[in-house]
Amino acid sequence: MTARPSTRPATRAEKALRTFHEESAIGKAYDLRLLRRLWPFVKPHASFVAISLTTLVLIAAINWVRPLLLGDVVRQAGNHDAGRLIRDGLAIGGLLVLVQSLTYVQMYTMQVAGARAMADLRSVVFRFFQSLRLRYYDRTPVGRLVTRATNDVDAVNELFASGALNAMGDLLSLVGVVALMLALDWRLSIVSFLALPVVGVIVNYVRTRSRAAYREARARTARLNAFLNEQVNGIAVVQAFVRERSMADEFDGINVGYRDANKRSIYYEALLDAAIEMVSTLCIASILWFSGMRGVGAHPITFPLLVTFTQYIRQFFEPVSLLSQRYTLLQSAMAGAERVFELLDEKDVAPAALPPEACAPLGPPDEGISLEHVEFSYKPGVPVLRDVSFSARRGERVALVGATGAGKSTVASLLLRLYEAEAGVVRVLGCDVRSYEPHELRRQFSVVPQDVFLFSGTVLSNVAISDASPDRAKAEEALRRVGAYELFARRDGGLDARVDERGQNFSAGERQLLAFARAVYRDAPLLVLDEATASVDSDTEARLQRALEEVVRGRTSLVIAHRLSTIRAADRIVCFHKGRVVETGTHEELLERGEVYARLYRMQFAHEQAIQAERRVHQEIGA
Amino acid sequence: MPRYVIGGLMLAAFQLAMNRIDLTSMRAIDVVLGAHPGDAWKPAAIMLALALGAFVARVASRWYIFNAGRDAEYELRFELLEKLHQLGAAFYRKMSAGEIMSRSTNDLQQVRMLFGFGMLNLLNLVFVFPSAIQVMTSVSVKLTFACLANLPLVTIVTRWISRGLFSRMRENQASLGRMSDVLQANLAGVRVVRSFALEERERVRFEKANRDYLDASLALARLRGSLGPTVGAVAAAGYLVFFWYGSTLLLRGPQHGGVTPGQFYGFWSAFARMTWPMIAVGFSVSVVQRGRAGFSRLRDVFSAVPEVVDGPRPAPRHVGGSLSVEHLGFSYGTRTGPAAAGGEKASRMVLEDVTFRVAPGESLAIVGRTGSGKTTLAMLLARLLPTPAGTVRVDGVDVCELPLASLRSAIGYAQQDAFLFSTTVARNIAFSLDEPESPEAVNRIRGAAGEAQVLQEALSLPEGFDTVVGERGVQLSGGQKQRIALARALIWEPQILILDDPLSAVDAKTEAAILQAIDRQAARRTVLLITHRIAAASRCDRIVVLDEGRIVEEGTHDELVAAGGIYAAFAEEQQMARELEEMTVPSIEPPPAERAAS
Repeated sequence: MTARPSTRPATRAEKALRTFHEESAIGKAYDLRLLRRLWPFVKPHASFVAISLTTLVLIAAINWVRPLLLGDVVRQAGNHDAGRLIRDGLAIGGLLVLVQSLTYVQMYTMQVAGARAMADLRSVVFRFFQSLRLRYYDRTPVGRLVTRATNDVDAVNELFASGALNAMGDLLSLVGVVALMLALDWRLSIVSFLALPVVGVIVNYVRTRSRAAYREARARTARLNAFLNEQVNGIAVVQAFVRERSMADEFDGINVGYRDANKRSIYYEALLDAAIEMVSTLCIASILWFSGMRGVGAHPITFPLLVTFTQYIRQFFEPVSLLSQRYTLLQSAMAGAERVFELLDEKDVAPAALPPEACAPLGPPDEGISLEHVEFSYKPGVPVLRDVSFSARRGERVALVGATGAGKSTVASLLLRLYEAEAGVVRVLGCDVRSYEPHELRRQFSVVPQDVFLFSGTVLSNVAISDASPDRAKAEEALRRVGAYELFARRDGGLDARVDERGQNFSAGERQLLAFARAVYRDAPLLVLDEATASVDSDTEARLQRALEEVVRGRTSLVIAHRLSTIRAADRIVCFHKGRVVETGTHEELLERGEVYARLYRMQFAHEQAIQAERRVHQEIGA
Repeated sequence: MPRYVIGGLMLAAFQLAMNRIDLTSMRAIDVVLGAHPGDAWKPAAIMLALALGAFVARVASRWYIFNAGRDAEYELRFELLEKLHQLGAAFYRKMSAGEIMSRSTNDLQQVRMLFGFGMLNLLNLVFVFPSAIQVMTSVSVKLTFACLANLPLVTIVTRWISRGLFSRMRENQASLGRMSDVLQANLAGVRVVRSFALEERERVRFEKANRDYLDASLALARLRGSLGPTVGAVAAAGYLVFFWYGSTLLLRGPQHGGVTPGQFYGFWSAFARMTWPMIAVGFSVSVVQRGRAGFSRLRDVFSAVPEVVDGPRPAPRHVGGSLSVEHLGFSYGTRTGPAAAGGEKASRMVLEDVTFRVAPGESLAIVGRTGSGKTTLAMLLARLLPTPAGTVRVDGVDVCELPLASLRSAIGYAQQDAFLFSTTVARNIAFSLDEPESPEAVNRIRGAAGEAQVLQEALSLPEGFDTVVGERGVQLSGGQKQRIALARALIWEPQILILDDPLSAVDAKTEAAILQAIDRQAARRTVLLITHRIAAASRCDRIVVLDEGRIVEEGTHDELVAAGGIYAAFAEEQQMARELEEMTVPSIEPPPAERAAS
């Protein structure tokens, strides 16, 4: 490890971070492989691209003519031909509007093609997200995935929006301009090209430096915002560790770098702009000088020609000033495309359903759900379920019990086929889960997760989540049946009361009740209920118990139970221990055995005792 | 400010040079077309010199003025972070991270545009007018008036379009935001979406958001694209006036009150120079307005008052490490939220009448269930929340009397939530060190990682301790994060160390090793350990049990177990859990009925 007693700390970390941020921002400017993969998305909108490219050629052609026309104006002025002069004026004005309008058509069609292609790409990415296995989500942060479908796709769009493809048109007009100038007067052309080396030297000087500055500014922007965002989110850590000063210093380093990169960018851009501005004057001056030397009369070097040449020279340099920006945008577009396609290459997608013949019911006719010798692990080498076998008859209420991490919730995930069993068979309503379309399989279930997830919308839309158009009467009935109708009707807006992102404006108890109502509304034959562990007050507790009774009635239900009352009310208890099913039977039977369940029960009892002890203390304090 | 003066002078110089170039070229053209074309070299040489001068002035003007804008942006951003560092929890509850970020990016950019682009164009306008109009009027006053009549229209049209442009940009940004929100919710709730078979519903929602964004971006493109043709059309009308009237004058010739070809050209050149500044002014008005709006939104942050500020006393030379808490009560104040909706009291007391003492070098465990107020208590000790005056004392001094920096260095609070920064593992662990890359620091980092039982894992990361972690870097498990956060706390060495639930995501075997490390810490300093694990609490000299914001029990482990209260119940429960954990029981065979069926 390099140890430098430097005044600037963090060189090592700084280096690691810099390569980290830059690598992710920049790609190769031109990558045929990526372009080939982009093509299928552009192809349906290729007619727009064709219009755009055709217009591009037209614009270039008009731009060849315009200076000639301007020259003609001056010539006619010399010829004292007033009629022609006004016609020329009209033509120049008309062409200006025409060029601008064509530019509009050209840019807009290109953007239509690009934006539509990118919207299609986003749809494909979205559908791809839905097909990824849950395992993939376990190891990938959501923010990164969101970035793929938003920022990265937008970066690719810059290919169309920024006019990077217009560089082709620029090239075309450049070649035309040079050819026309030489054809008009080769000597004058050479004289006016004399000024070119000056600009050439400046352009050459500026080109790579400007690109580097622009690129650095972009990378620094990303870091600057990431850093600030992190300071806001981690403000408690910064304040607790009293690192405000050193964080400010580190931030200052990035901030200064950002500012200076931008200043360099400003300098180079100003240099280029001014150089192009200057060169037309230089050309005119040198042409005048030259003309004066040769004498206008002796050669057909005329004032009109001079005007034409000045215009050509301006046109020659216009695209140059945009070059470095376009190049960098091209690079970041390619980098974006690279990341998007890398994502789409991810192999961890859900497998297709087995052929229909595999759907022959295998279990006994009254079988609700069944697991046979199931093995499963999230991480290789850390088994979560080992040789798990148990089943529930239709209409039976089974409670899964066990310590935290014993594998109960995993059973629910396997039944819904959120994950695949590594060995053994999982059956739902007699059929192997692999023989269902995942969608069909999940339709058989109502799920009440431990952590209820509410979508932003209304109470109604959350109860009727399984329907595209919610049935109000049915939702009211569902809420009534779980005994929560009054509770929600009381709120402002009643069933149309707004639900914030993730249901932040509802208490834990209310969220649970909503989830129960959701299950009743859905009315699926199977129920998976992961009981919440969070402690609620005794009123809510009683209410939830009544609601649970209502939800469970008439359904094959699998309750991952934490409360004694729920466990006792089950038809059968399946006891998990370290990923194995170790006991099964009724509460009394298992208690009698005096092994795992009995211990679990006593533990739970101790917990509830603790709560009671605490309430006693409170009453004493209150007294 | 002086940079604007210099920048303004440079703009003046530039416009002066352009004025001279127009006038000289006028003369030169007439000379070339006149009787003695050979004399044209003189004005041509002057033009060359002027062009060089104009080049320098133009570069300099942009350099000074745009840089002033960038410097203003830099200063504001610097002060923004400084302010954000001072503000406390109350502010962050009110303003979300997203809102703060939108201020520090969009609004700051608006302000910079105002100070850079806006200033340049407004200043430029002041100079371009006299510079161009002098040339034009010197040719023909009437022609000047005829041509200028049209120019204000250019400004008006630009202004009108730019206003719409900015609102469409906002709309475009907003629809992008909505689309990412839909996506974010879909991906974060992927389990729910699949469990409930909501894929179709989600697809429809996303497609709508996607379509809206497409429409918004094309609406923006349409308006942006129309700027060119519209302004072009308006400007072309001006050119027509020039050509029509100008050519009449040219035909008339200078002898009859007309103009020479040189004048015709010079006028044209000067007139053309005015078009862009007039367009730019249309923009600049919007830039100025938006800049001011951005600035006022930034003031929301700058004018926020920090709730926790330095006390009047000087920093103590030495901190002994005794801590006393007397009748401490605290509430987060009125909040609208689930609590209020549930019909509970609007401002619930999180802590009530908490009193305890810790002697220097003593270790104290604070035990309680989730929501009992442990974390609030710990944060109040280091004034990470507004601690009521006179309730918490360090070495007998009220913490509200001390400077914040020295107080928080003396009372080190290592939070529950293992927040890591997206930098290297080494830098995360060495967060509290001033010289994180000195050889001594490198040894300490490895030492702390070892104590926190994360050394082997850190070394096995792709770049070892130099691996970048976080959202864009390597993903760590919850347990790894927590142990790195613990290493960060262990390297710190404040006089009083508060560890808030440092073991919640750590397995039993690792826990035992870490507890020994915490013992070693406790031997050197005052340690407060917040935990719900009896195994951890029992190693401390003394334990207080917190419940619903009150201290309900206090004593040593043995005393509390003997007392048979809430702590004893916790102890029993965890003892049984441990026993259960140690049991190995074979799987049972499925009942015969099920076997027969398969």
